[in-house]
Amino acid sequence: MATPNTPNPNTPRAVEITVGYKALSPNQKDRLEKIEVNPAEGDAPPWDALTEYQTVGTDVDRTDGMQKATGRAKYAYDISFPDLQQAMILRAPIARGILKSLYLDEARAMPGISAVVALKKDGSKIRLVGDAVAAVSGKTLDMVRDAIEKIRADYEAEQHNVDYLMDEEAPMLDANGQLDEEWDEDSKVDKALADATHTHTGTYRTEVQTHSSLETHGNTCRWDGNNLEVWASTQATFGVQGELARGLGAHNVKVESVDVHAEFVGGGFGSKFSAGIEGLACALLAHAAKLPVKLMLDRHEEHTAAGNRPSALMQVRGGIDKNGKITAWDWRSFGGCGYNGRGGAVRYPNYYMGDAATRRKHKDIACDTDPARSMRAPGYPQGWFGAEMFLDELAAKASMDPLAFRLKNDSEAMRLDQWQFAADKFGWDKARAKKNDANARYVTGVGCASARWGQLGRHGGRRQSYGVTCRIHPDGMVEARNGSQDIGTGLKTVLQILTAEELGIPASRVRGVTGHTSDPLGPASGGSTTTPSIAPAVRHAAFLAKNKLIALVAAHLGVPEGDVTCANDKVGTKNAKLDFTEACKLVGQTPIEVHGERYPNYRDKPFHPGVCGAQFAEVRVDTWTGEVQVTRMFGIQDCGLVIAKKLAESQVIGAMIQGVSYAVHEQRIMDQRSGRMLNGDFLRYKITGSKDLPDIECHMHSVANGHNNTGAAGLGEPPSTATAAAIGNAVFHAIGAPVRHIPITPEKVLAAIASK
Amino acid sequence: MSHPPDHGVSRRSFLKGSAVAGIATTGITAATKAAAGPPVPESFGPGEHEITLSVNGAKKRVKVETRTTLLDALRDRMDMTGAKKICDRGACGGCTVLVDGMPTNSCLTLAMDAVGTELRTIEGLSNGDNAHPLVKNFVTCDALQCGFCTPGMVMSSLACLEKRGKPTPEQMRQDLSGNLCRCGTYGRVMEAIDKTANGGGK
Ligand code: FES
Ligand code: FES
Repeated sequence: MATPNTPNPNTPRAVEITVGYKALSPNQKDRLEKIEVNPAEGDAPPWDALTEYQTVGTDVDRTDGMQKATGRAKYAYDISFPDLQQAMILRAPIARGILKSLYLDEARAMPGISAVVALKKDGSKIRLVGDAVAAVSGKTLDMVRDAIEKIRADYEAEQHNVDYLMDEEAPMLDANGQLDEEWDEDSKVDKALADATHTHTGTYRTEVQTHSSLETHGNTCRWDGNNLEVWASTQATFGVQGELARGLGAHNVKVESVDVHAEFVGGGFGSKFSAGIEGLACALLAHAAKLPVKLMLDRHEEHTAAGNRPSALMQVRGGIDKNGKITAWDWRSFGGCGYNGRGGAVRYPNYYMGDAATRRKHKDIACDTDPARSMRAPGYPQGWFGAEMFLDELAAKASMDPLAFRLKNDSEAMRLDQWQFAADKFGWDKARAKKNDANARYVTGVGCASARWGQLGRHGGRRQSYGVTCRIHPDGMVEARNGSQDIGTGLKTVLQILTAEELGIPASRVRGVTGHTSDPLGPASGGSTTTPSIAPAVRHAAFLAKNKLIALVAAHLGVPEGDVTCANDKVGTKNAKLDFTEACKLVGQTPIEVHGERYPNYRDKPFHPGVCGAQFAEVRVDTWTGEVQVTRMFGIQDCGLVIAKKLAESQVIGAMIQGVSYAVHEQRIMDQRSGRMLNGDFLRYKITGSKDLPDIECHMHSVANGHNNTGAAGLGEPPSTATAAAIGNAVFHAIGAPVRHIPITPEKVLAAIASK
Repeated sequence: MSHPPDHGVSRRSFLKGSAVAGIATTGITAATKAAAGPPVPESFGPGEHEITLSVNGAKKRVKVETRTTLLDALRDRMDMTGAKKICDRGACGGCTVLVDGMPTNSCLTLAMDAVGTELRTIEGLSNGDNAHPLVKNFVTCDALQCGFCTPGMVMSSLACLEKRGKPTPEQMRQDLSGNLCRCGTYGRVMEAIDKTANGGGK
């Protein structure tokens, strides 16, 4: 890969680059076009669709894989000190009411107890079963548990409701679970519906899903004077830093500095942005005990008080013209939220609607449960399930093949290529044409759905840009550092690969380090922004470091800097080259250290404003028992530039498995009488396991978007938008009747079959 | 000092088990016994007792309470934090260790019950950069994302390999069915098992 080493001040800043992608298969065309972009002065020159990569996009191993596979990786939960105290939270047993009084003294006197703190004042509101009331630290968890039992808390319970559909704001449903209320008038939509060749109406529902990260929320905290050090299980190191400083201040605890570490994080999926009450409690306990304290939630707390994807109720009515084009789309939805009544908004794939008359209404409804938190593509899997299933039902009314129907209505050119490519790989035509024997016990079906996300990365927080430190050490090792966290997505490996590519060295010579707030600012891992936000800064840092190394080598060889390149593990000119490690010796004792900057994305229009994907699913349904087994899936997913191929595939496959779980297994069950979650553990809250696993294949579609020097886009969330919808459609195909409510459990399947 | 009855019961049922002989030889001091009447089993506690566990071939002495689980003993008292407490209920497999070769949920096993057995943990599968082929194949197959389930997955995979030699996909699914992974690594874990069975990663 040859990029100029130093920006030439005399050339205009505008650069022409090639964006798009090469044909996905021999029967498709290249989609390449030239655009002009205006990089910031001093930034690394952009990579584009014609760049030939050595390391980017190859099968580099996950750089911290060995630490994880040997058990050596230290998560917040694994941090230990000789005098470490364990801690737990006392949680309220009522869903709504008032904490009347709290007596902590007896707990304080229990053996082995180092601190007890109140997390609520007498008279505070209780908002859910599991609201945090007090916290205790002590020598062992068993001792802490004994002490917690000695806390006396008196409550005054109020009438609660843990089912949003029982709220007076909620709409009425008929006996078949279909929304049963008049639509408001809307002249445009009403006319389009009246003019349509085929119309259809359907109500779709999704249930509450908990994030179920395997490492629960929690922290280990240690004070040194007024300086707090925190090992956090978080997806926002810098967020936790600020939040704890403010929170402790509000408790009149003097804080000079907060350092956060999150070198390894056992998943987050959107639930771990905040330090939470458990983070504050841990810091307060450590402060009071004057000893390091670890406070990790247990599994039940994790299910009941650490966030969830809220449920959704959606009704769509729509119509198509005689050519199968959508002409009317009328959408109303309700989010089933926790006590704060927020976070239930749903989105739907609007790229199918073209010029159709559309209307969209949404209302969030509160009930006395744990509030929603963003979860892997918040609002998307719900809405996609409703909308993509509705599309299949509408297509069925017009006797159209669901894929042909999508090809007719999907306005995103890139996805049209993806649909065709994926359909061939999956064997759609044949599988869709297959007829089930009318008397067969087992029937199969196939379905598809689209994926979409709109994230090309951000350049910084409100006050400061993101950055990366790159160091070239005299022994030839290179370090790339950013303070954000790698929650399993592969940020460390991204730092490693991009740095290696820019310097023309093998990845094994680069160490990617993440998860310490002493390193440059990075984003929270949310909205699939981490890689797209950090990647351009990694490149810029490596680019600056490279130029410094080139200057040393040029001086050493007595040649102009412009003649020196870094490639194939060598630094030098055509005629005189040093091995990279030899060149690094010129660095002297202090390493080269540079700060790479995350410049804003180019203002110029990119190839595509987001990322696209498509998924296909095959299911086998046991018509006697109603059991659904997802047998096969194929997914194609674009994420801008594919940096670490193996890791990217893992993420897509992982999202699809979570989608299987969402579609057929997961459901929070609340008890209206007591207000409790009845299945707050992994015995009764089922997530997909090895026996439920379909054969999954995925294809990473690398696209040069031309939005910054690297062109990476979001990946964690996009593939999770499509899966449940594709499975729902496959079940519809298999049994000939739609199950419009996930999870698609045996009783719903049997009811659908009976209703035919 | 008196104890809540459930503690007493669990101590006695523990003592009835086959681990008694093992414990006796490791020098736990028995608490008071009744002087007359039918023979009353020895009972321990409250407080801590020193036991010896054989972990990855080495004898280790550790102080535990009778209620201390093997998982807590390994993690909190022996500084072996590879095994994870993910559910604490035997539902996730994150705490899997091999007890006399059998994959076992260490969250459901009392430390004292493990006396006299051969324990193998994830820590025993590597030594510096030297690792068991299965561990290496986990990395090359990218059979891990956040990595939190991984130590348990590796131990269940190891048991599967040792039991079956060349397991079929169905056998792998069966043997991994006690291990949960939220990131969705199952398929690649099966690839890593398969690669190891076929001599990869040596
Ligand atoms: S922690 Fe032991 S099985 Fe889950
Ligand atoms: S790799 Fe994250 S839970 Fe398995």
